[in-house]
Amino acid sequence: MIDNSKIWYKDNLELFLAKEGKTTYFEIEAPTQEKIKTRIKNASKFLDFLPKNVLYNGIESNQHDYKSPVEFFDKKILKFSDKAPELVNVAIQESLEHGASKVAGVLYFGHSETNLLTSYGNEGSYLGSSYRFTIRSFVGPESSGQGLACGRDLTGVENSLINAGTSAGEIAKMAVGGTQGTPGRYDLIMSPTVAANVLGQLFDGLNPLKILIYMSPLKYEHIGKQIASKEFSVSDDALLNEGLGSRPFDVEGTPKGKTPIFSKGILERLLQNTSTSIMDKVENTGNSIFFDFGVGTKFLAPGPSNIVVEGGDYALEEIIAESKKPTIYITSNWYTRFTNIRGGVFSTIPRDGMFLIENGEIQKPIRKLRLSDNILRICSNIDAIGKDVNQIYWWEVPTPTFIPTIKVKDCVLTAATQ
Amino acid sequence: MEIEKDLADIAVAYGSSRGASYVEARVVASRNENYAARNGVLLGGGISFSRGIAIRVLANGSMGFCSTPNLTKVGVVDGVDKALKLAKVSQRKNPIRFSEEQIVQTKWKSPVKNKFEDVSIEEKQNFLIDLDKILKQEFQPKLPTRTLLLDLYSDQKYIVTNEGSKVESENSIISTHTFNTAKGKAGGEQRMSSLGGTGGWEWIEEKNVVNQILENNRGLVKAAQHAIEKPFSKIDVIISGEVAGIIAHENVGHPSEADRILGREGAQAGESFYLDLLQNENLGEIKIGTEQVTIIDDPTRPGNSGFYLYDDECIKARPRYLIKKGMLNELFLNREYASILNTKSNAAARAISYKREPIIRMANTFFAPGNFTFEELLNDVKKGIYMKSFTEWNIDDRRFQSKYVGLEAYLIDNGEITETMIRRPVLESTTFGLLSSVDGVSKDFYSPHGDCGKGDPMQGAPVWLGGPHVRLRDIKLGGELNNRL
Repeated sequence: MIDNSKIWYKDNLELFLAKEGKTTYFEIEAPTQEKIKTRIKNASKFLDFLPKNVLYNGIESNQHDYKSPVEFFDKKILKFSDKAPELVNVAIQESLEHGASKVAGVLYFGHSETNLLTSYGNEGSYLGSSYRFTIRSFVGPESSGQGLACGRDLTGVENSLINAGTSAGEIAKMAVGGTQGTPGRYDLIMSPTVAANVLGQLFDGLNPLKILIYMSPLKYEHIGKQIASKEFSVSDDALLNEGLGSRPFDVEGTPKGKTPIFSKGILERLLQNTSTSIMDKVENTGNSIFFDFGVGTKFLAPGPSNIVVEGGDYALEEIIAESKKPTIYITSNWYTRFTNIRGGVFSTIPRDGMFLIENGEIQKPIRKLRLSDNILRICSNIDAIGKDVNQIYWWEVPTPTFIPTIKVKDCVLTAATQ
Repeated sequence: MEIEKDLADIAVAYGSSRGASYVEARVVASRNENYAARNGVLLGGGISFSRGIAIRVLANGSMGFCSTPNLTKVGVVDGVDKALKLAKVSQRKNPIRFSEEQIVQTKWKSPVKNKFEDVSIEEKQNFLIDLDKILKQEFQPKLPTRTLLLDLYSDQKYIVTNEGSKVESENSIISTHTFNTAKGKAGGEQRMSSLGGTGGWEWIEEKNVVNQILENNRGLVKAAQHAIEKPFSKIDVIISGEVAGIIAHENVGHPSEADRILGREGAQAGESFYLDLLQNENLGEIKIGTEQVTIIDDPTRPGNSGFYLYDDECIKARPRYLIKKGMLNELFLNREYASILNTKSNAAARAISYKREPIIRMANTFFAPGNFTFEELLNDVKKGIYMKSFTEWNIDDRRFQSKYVGLEAYLIDNGEITETMIRRPVLESTTFGLLSSVDGVSKDFYSPHGDCGKGDPMQGAPVWLGGPHVRLRDIKLGGELNNRL
């Protein structure tokens, strides 16, 4: 049963202006020539009052042609709104048939046209289509499971939604009868959804601006060093057909492709745009975005497109079978917060099905534990990487992340004391 | 500048003529000015404007929503058609109904002495630059990175419904946000802190904001320099208004949201442990804390960051007594959920922009002050911890198991706050565990600013979350397993 259907029209001009080393950013909704002229005139006056931006070293000045080898747009999206309610109801029904007694979720879809023009003459455009689906199934108030689906190509979307509904229902059913988990040190199996959120804290910190203000667990001295297990290889890849962060160029017009970040656990490089690459005296990776701190003004700063964690050799079943020590399998999590971002100290809360594994088998569902650990220690303790690479993009994972199941040794799980 | 009230009126008339049983149009024009500085250097600033219309309809028992910045008659009529189409294809079995409410035609505004646009750009920038100089002067080199943000938001709004309600408003919210790192023996401490309220530029001086930020950073630097790890068995804990506020918001405010209890937020922010409590007992019959616990959400309290006098469904706002003397008393309701529960809305519907639908939100949630002075709370503690501020926090999605990590925390010995600072004490407890340990609440009051997240797409709503000092008895602290991470 659909609670609400919504549609948004967005017609935005995002403008970045630089004048004598001073910079500002603003948006114009429903732009007209008159609005644009007035706002640029006002912004130019505003710039006169600003000091020079010491972190600004220019934008892309070389001329480029942007030819994307892949398409980000599927024209089936244009008629998808007629079909969407029926697909949602089918996914709900599927989840109910696989064990759920109650289901909640959101299907979000849309299409966009992005056009770029810079004062250096770079000009480009691309079309995009997208969908993302979150479904959460419940059996009673405390047993739940989550399924996700997202992408750009609508071929097979019905199956993707059905699979998400099925998975959510099955996990919820498996979680029935869960009991309070015992706090302690365990090996941990993170589903792709959990791994994308937890390791996403590290990927968000690949931004030199965040490192400067100590908002990243990464430090410059980590570059070139082994800070993760050898199994861990990660790239930023903007040219993936299904990637929701895909784009042929960044916001200042640098062409964007694939950038290796971690190779066999060694941090190869940070993400860069023109300004930070000049500051750091390294290659521009074409990752310029309009970045903000969650509140306030936006800046030109580097940010990820699609993060891709290389898959390993193991199926989930094999990872479970190899887990002879007490191991906890977490299928979903939320509310990740840091005591100290620079030091990497954080906690996050498992939600939905969580299971205790002993002697290579799932023994029982458990509940009410919290992962309280250190992100850098988790990276260096990665023990096994699955081959089930999935794109994760939902409420708790704002950067599209292609990532498999990941097992980590010796993690701290805590619980309420009273 | 006048907002397009005529277009909202057209939307409502057109929607009614097309068969909608309910039509609501909301025109919002907002201005957002921001500055950011790092270590005394301005990183950037900007002024953005937003202007558009939100249309919400009920048709065939289903709800449809459309927003557009296209403020023309054609754009608005198209928006109504789209919202109606969405409602009609929803194929809902149980029709959505709204509670019957009083029709109002009124205006409200938050009091402003100095509008943001009337203050020079230099003065606003200099506030951040001068603030950094003060921090640097007092703390250098112990506070090596200082990130300071200033956010100035104002809006004009007009909401009209086909039932005849019309509410016009003007609101103005100012907030500062700091993210600073202090050096210390054990690697340092970090603090993200926000202050804010409704008002104009005068708020900076009237609330002595510079001194408040300075005081916050004194605590941060002291904690980084001097706090020591110390294990405790059960111990009394006195929490400040800042810590009491986050508990009121997370452990009591969120589970009191009726849409969450009834499952609409299930796939995002989650459900509520109140769902279990309300299976067998009613509001007013469920004991959730000691008699000293009264928790209120009051949007009408002057100056609070979530201030409003009428919500985004044109319902008159009033204080909501979520917990009264330890008993579960009231839930947050909008018209849809009030109808389901066969009662009236208590004006909890808020939308953060024209691009979003109104959903059930908190505004200003706090522990109600009690009868003690802070000194009286202290006097009766033989061995305890005074937790003045916090860093990391989180809570499960049923809002039952929370964790609050102390930042500035002192040992209390025989009724006196000592110079001994405790490193990162962890309150990791259930909501019952916290609220049933309260045995004293002071008369004072302090409330920081927060941005509360909910909905999909996310709506970050400005709120206050505060209270007086609160004494918790016999708390078993958590964190033994990960003190050295």
